[in-house]
Amino acid sequence: MTIPVRPPEGRLWPADADAAVPYWVYSDPEIYAEELRRIWYGPHWLYVGLECEIPNVGDWKTATLGERPVVMVRSAQNEISVVENRCAHKGVKFCQARFGHSEELICPYHQWSYALNGDLQGVPFRRGVKRQGGMPADFDLTQNGLTKLRVEEVNGVVWATFSEETPAFRDYLGEKFWKHYTRVYDGRKLEVLGYNRQHIPANWKQMQENIKDPYHAGLLHVFFATFGLFRADQKSAVDIDDEGRHGILISRKGEQEKTEAMADIRNFQGDLVLEDPRVMDVVQEFPGEETVGMITIFPSVILQQQVNSLTTRQIVPKGPDGFDFHWTHWCYADDTPEMRLRRTRQANLFGPAGFVSADDGEVLEMTQQGATPSPDAHMILQMGGRTIESTDHQVTETAVRGMYRYWRKVMGL
Amino acid sequence: MSTTLTERPAAITRDAIRDLYDDYYATLDEVRLHDWPGFFPQDCLYRVIPRENFEAGYTLSTMQAESRGMLKDRVTGLTRTQMYAPRYYRRFPTAPRIVGEENGGVRTRHNLLLVQTLIDKPSEIVLSAVCHDLIVADEGRLRFAERVVVFDSEMLPNSLVYPV
Repeated sequence: MTIPVRPPEGRLWPADADAAVPYWVYSDPEIYAEELRRIWYGPHWLYVGLECEIPNVGDWKTATLGERPVVMVRSAQNEISVVENRCAHKGVKFCQARFGHSEELICPYHQWSYALNGDLQGVPFRRGVKRQGGMPADFDLTQNGLTKLRVEEVNGVVWATFSEETPAFRDYLGEKFWKHYTRVYDGRKLEVLGYNRQHIPANWKQMQENIKDPYHAGLLHVFFATFGLFRADQKSAVDIDDEGRHGILISRKGEQEKTEAMADIRNFQGDLVLEDPRVMDVVQEFPGEETVGMITIFPSVILQQQVNSLTTRQIVPKGPDGFDFHWTHWCYADDTPEMRLRRTRQANLFGPAGFVSADDGEVLEMTQQGATPSPDAHMILQMGGRTIESTDHQVTETAVRGMYRYWRKVMGL
Repeated sequence: MSTTLTERPAAITRDAIRDLYDDYYATLDEVRLHDWPGFFPQDCLYRVIPRENFEAGYTLSTMQAESRGMLKDRVTGLTRTQMYAPRYYRRFPTAPRIVGEENGGVRTRHNLLLVQTLIDKPSEIVLSAVCHDLIVADEGRLRFAERVVVFDSEMLPNSLVYPV
């Protein structure tokens, strides 16, 4: 499938449409504004949080979807609401804490009060004082509540969308990705182990690309390559959904050994020995032989299963040249204390100081620095050819090509 | 008269504590990373942890080690496997406050600012933290049996590269 290329006025798209992407996609403020409108506030499901973060009615958590602040609140025993954190009256972001509990949502400015599901309940002095002032008689509480998002809670994860056109979450994933998703999010109750938060000065799409690009994993990440966690010569696969927007990198752990393929990995550290290898105490816990399943759900989140470390990594765009990255490390509620400790130890590989992940934050920033001043130059995405299809190896950029083809389609470019 | 650690290992005096911190922060500021694990006994606990995790009772940390071996592995990972842009880190601790004694060790707290300078960039704060330390006498010197750096900072400016 090829789609016609229609770059915005004054911009060009390289002739090698699927295998070359111009750098203005990382830096153009008009493109970014259009992304917010068409992607983040368009027909896509966005990650909000975990159901277990708000166990009791009245518990809430604040989050940011696209650039818009929202509140995820347990509005009834079996109901989670996601409403915009913006008072209908004057636009106040009324919930300021990360987490809280309240009977209703109240704006501090003029004390407009909302039910937990976002319905406007009270407007002080609505009828005036001594027949003076007050709201007009036709002011309708039911028409002036908080903006309510569509919500689906799927095996412990809360998703929301601003659009009425977004298909049901399972259809949004497609059957292949429903299977990948439910391999880890299998309906067992989840529990939070902790958070990490970092601002990465790079365009938000770079983060999606990074986890759709297995080519870099064994090259940039010497730690991965050295300890055999993720390497080009291991049995692996890349799967993409029919639209090209979601991806998964699948791999299985190998040994710390020098193989033929290692000749291309310049800084492989074959003699590297850990003094205390408990950080690499890995157990096989999911069906099959795969030890890695890194899922990118377009556009907002990465669902990480890397050996026994499980995280959601939420992307919050902050202008064209940066995004906030919120890591939620989690475990299953029925995990043993040993398993919780194992997951906590393995977290040393991930997050802002991770042996592996810190490399990514750094290289994304360096990419933004190199690409921004040359918006009309372009990247080369030819590894593995020019096609967009699932592969049974990782020497490919197929999933990155797939994302940009979908991106052009939704952006009308 | 100054107190040296080798002469009075058992006495954890204020001067000795002060010397320990001066030595510790100089070692890190000068990026003598291979000397860093020596500030901890074989069995130790080292955490750099977001305040929200600490207050919620979570142990999940941005950096964690449970032994001197793991601290050495952190140095190995940093020096032999990680990729990062060149930078200077400088640490600005306040004077330690002694908050208690425990099995012959001394618990202290102090505030810490970690400032980084990247090429072509103004200096910026990486984190603002309070350090919960347990100082013990070990093998004739003072060491940190526990060092838990609880940082307020909500959003780290990209990576935390070197230890604090």
